[in-house]
This record gives sequence, structure tokens and C-alpha cells, in this order.
Amino acid sequence: MSSHFFLLEDTISPERLSWIEECLKFFFVKLNPENLLHSTKNRDTIFSLFLTGDSLYSLQNPETQQIWEIILSMPSVKLVCDSQELALRGISVERLRMKNPDQVIIHNSIALNGQPSFWKDVMKQARQHEQPVPSLVGYLHLTSPYMHRSSNAMLDCLHAVLECHASIDLYCYLDGVHVGHLGQKPSEFDNIGEGLTELSEKAAKRGLQCQMLACGRCAAARGYSTWDDGKGVVVSTCAIKPLRIRNLNETIDQFRRNHIILAGNCASIQLKKDGMRATFSVLDNERSPPLTILITSHPYGTESAFGGISLAIAAASQGILTRVIFIEDGVFSLTGNHRLDKPSPLFNMQEVIDAVSGSENLQIFCFTPSLQKRGLTKNAKLNGVLDIGIADFGNLLFYSPNGVAANHQRVLFF
Amino acid sequence: MSVDTSTIPDFSDLTCTNLMIRLKMLLKKVPDGTPVECIVRRDQRDTIDVPFSRTGYEVKIRKVDTNRFRVTLKKKTQNLND
Repeated sequence: MSSHFFLLEDTISPERLSWIEECLKFFFVKLNPENLLHSTKNRDTIFSLFLTGDSLYSLQNPETQQIWEIILSMPSVKLVCDSQELALRGISVERLRMKNPDQVIIHNSIALNGQPSFWKDVMKQARQHEQPVPSLVGYLHLTSPYMHRSSNAMLDCLHAVLECHASIDLYCYLDGVHVGHLGQKPSEFDNIGEGLTELSEKAAKRGLQCQMLACGRCAAARGYSTWDDGKGVVVSTCAIKPLRIRNLNETIDQFRRNHIILAGNCASIQLKKDGMRATFSVLDNERSPPLTILITSHPYGTESAFGGISLAIAAASQGILTRVIFIEDGVFSLTGNHRLDKPSPLFNMQEVIDAVSGSENLQIFCFTPSLQKRGLTKNAKLNGVLDIGIADFGNLLFYSPNGVAANHQRVLFF
Repeated sequence: MSVDTSTIPDFSDLTCTNLMIRLKMLLKKVPDGTPVECIVRRDQRDTIDVPFSRTGYEVKIRKVDTNRFRVTLKKKTQNLND
């Protein structure tokens, strides 16, 4: 069985769900038509879509609901909902469930505390990629706590990782570094800083590793005072004990390993080699999974787009085959002629893209349906950015790139 | 003899990734064969050396102080006899 999954937490726009639907159609029609045969018995799930947080509203929104119906009409697709988050939002998925009772899952597995756990279901799927145990699960966290509930989701996910006897790697990037700030005292929310400290202690009691890395650039920008002890060890005075503020390259060093890396919005695509399922040890760092970064945000309003391309450049320079795909609002990085009229530390995204396109291990693409939807054209000067449609996108996702022996591809949304 | 580095841009405050972006942007702007120079820290020097040497650049690094290095990057010209 080959298995792929999407884990989605943010609001899902009709545009996003449409390209996911098109990718699934491409996969089944072009690559695996045998799965479309009605006579096929004992169908295994090939695609799992895990929904938590605000992504669950897409099951209620009429515009996205009809796309879900198309997705669920495809065989071997399973939709797993976070039952606690559904209940919190009062969202009913009965209509979809009545039509597709075996494909829409609203009852999660039971965790050790006796409560249903969506994250236990995610773990079951995520760890299919790994052999042998002991294993490691990574999590790239991009948002600040309290403003976003995604920090709670991250903590729940990492507790589920420990429950299945895997070690933890947490990578805090962009606003994600705030989860490790010392002295958090929320009155209406779970304390994320304390939660991470408890997580670290729980891991130690179980004899499991729990590494928490925060990007040095992101931390410095946000006022985390640090000093270098002269031997390259950065000491932070305002971060919780388990968090280590380090150069982004240390996070990328971890990306070179073969473990699964989750994020608020991510996907993992299993790669096959010549019909054989490739399984490698988590320690086999010669087989770094290729990385696809989807830049979905406007270029300057938030740090997301720059953060995405920055991570891509760092990964590519350390030998990881990396693709950046500008998609949805991300295509605004490629349109018009961006100008910085006065000297500024801000990067002109188009200059960055132009300068790094053609770098070793780095490929940059523009998803043209996103341009067409907005009535825009790409800046002609950006000739290192290749135009792709849905078929090329499908090929990039589902075919193993030349020279890559990894068993899966990581897809991260920015 | 001390070397005057005051006119050379000092990138020692940049992170390794941003340094790489800055250098690539500068190299894109200069005509072929024109060197780009900057001052960097020890850890940045290591980040520049391998990736740029491997991808067609001539990299020269000279130590100017304890943790300050002068880096000169130049696109290697294609030898027609190669």
C-alpha cells in the first residue's frame, strides 16, 4: 500500500481545495487508474486528509462542501476530522458522512488518558513511513501562541508522538519562536511554555529524545537576547530551558534526516522506487527527503513568504533537493515590478527570487492557474521561475526526483 | 601591513542564509568577472566557502582580525580549451 496525507489546520479556501482535488484526480486518473475500478475489493486508503482547527469550516461552507463531495467520490480517500475541534465549533458533517460513511471519520482513536485523540490518528499514519523503530517525529511551528490555537495543536501532536514511543524534534521558526518565551502566564489558555517544559520532562522519563530548536534570526528579530560564549554556543536569557536558539542551519541539519516532519499545514507524499517501497532508517542522512515549499501568502504583509524562501535556500544549500512553488496569493511575489525606493534592510522578493533561481538543489515554480484566477501575468524578468499547471504539479508531487532515494517527500505550506 | 577594509561591506550581522541571499543578489548585479567582496564572521566564512566554490565561483578568504574575514567571490570564467 502506498499512502499519502495532507494535514490541514488553517481555513481552506475553495481555491486551495480545488487544487488539492485536481492533484488527487491527477494521481488517480493518470498514475493509478486501477484504483478507480469499481470492482476493486478491499480498498486500502491511499490518501488521508486530516482536518483540524479552522480547516474544519470547509466541511460546512457550501463552496468547499461541493468540492469535498467530489474528493470523497474518489476511491481510497479518507477524511479524518478532529472530533474535539468539530464539537468546539459546532460543525456537523452528517451530510457528507451519510453519503460516504466509510470515508469520513469523526470518531478518533482513544489515547492513553481515555480521551479521543485526533493526533493519535495522525501518528498512526505518519509513522507508516518509518522503519525501524526507534523513531523520530519533527514538527515545524510557525505561529505565536494565544493569537493562534495552532500552538495547542502542536503540543497535542507532540504528546501523541511520545505516546507512540517516538522522539521529538520541534523546529520553531518565524513567530513560532514565541512558544518558547520564558514566563508566559495566560489566564484563558493552556500555558504553552509550561506545556513544552512538561513535554521535555515527560520525554526524559520515557527515555526519549526531545529537541527544541528555535531559529536564531527569527529569535533575534523578536528580541530574544542571546549571547555567543565564543565557542559558537548561543545562550538565551529569555527562553524556557528546553529551547535552544540556534542558527537555522542546525534545523536544516535535522531536515537532512529521514524522519517525518509535520506542521500546521503540510503534506507527506510517499515515494516509490521502481515499484518497491523504499524504507530507510531515520538515521540514514544520505537519503534526505526532498522538500517542497508552497508559498501561499502575499510577499510583504507578513514574513511568511520570505520565511518560506529563506528556509528553501538554507535547505538547498545543505544538499536537500528543494522546490518552491508560488501558488494562491503567493503568486503576487512574481507579478508586477517590485521596487524598494529607499535603502532598506527589507529584501525585494523579486530580487531574491531572481538571484537564487538556478542555485544548486533549488527549483522555483509558478502555479499558473493561480495567476490566471487573479488575471495576472508573471514578471518576464523572472525567467528562472518555471511555469507549471496541474499536471506538472502532480508530477512534482508524486514522482521521485532523479537521484533521490528517500521514501517520502515533505510538503510545507507558508 | 594592515589592510584597509573600511570600504568593504560588513555582513557580519547577517545570518548565514541572508548572507547567501545578499551575495547572490550582488553577484547577479555585477558584470561577469567582477569580484564581490565583503567582511564576514568565522561561521559565515564556512557557510560561503563550500557552496560557492562548488557552484562555479572562485572564493578567496583572508583573515583580517580574530573573527573577521575578508571574502572575495568571482564567477569562474569558462576556459574555451576545457
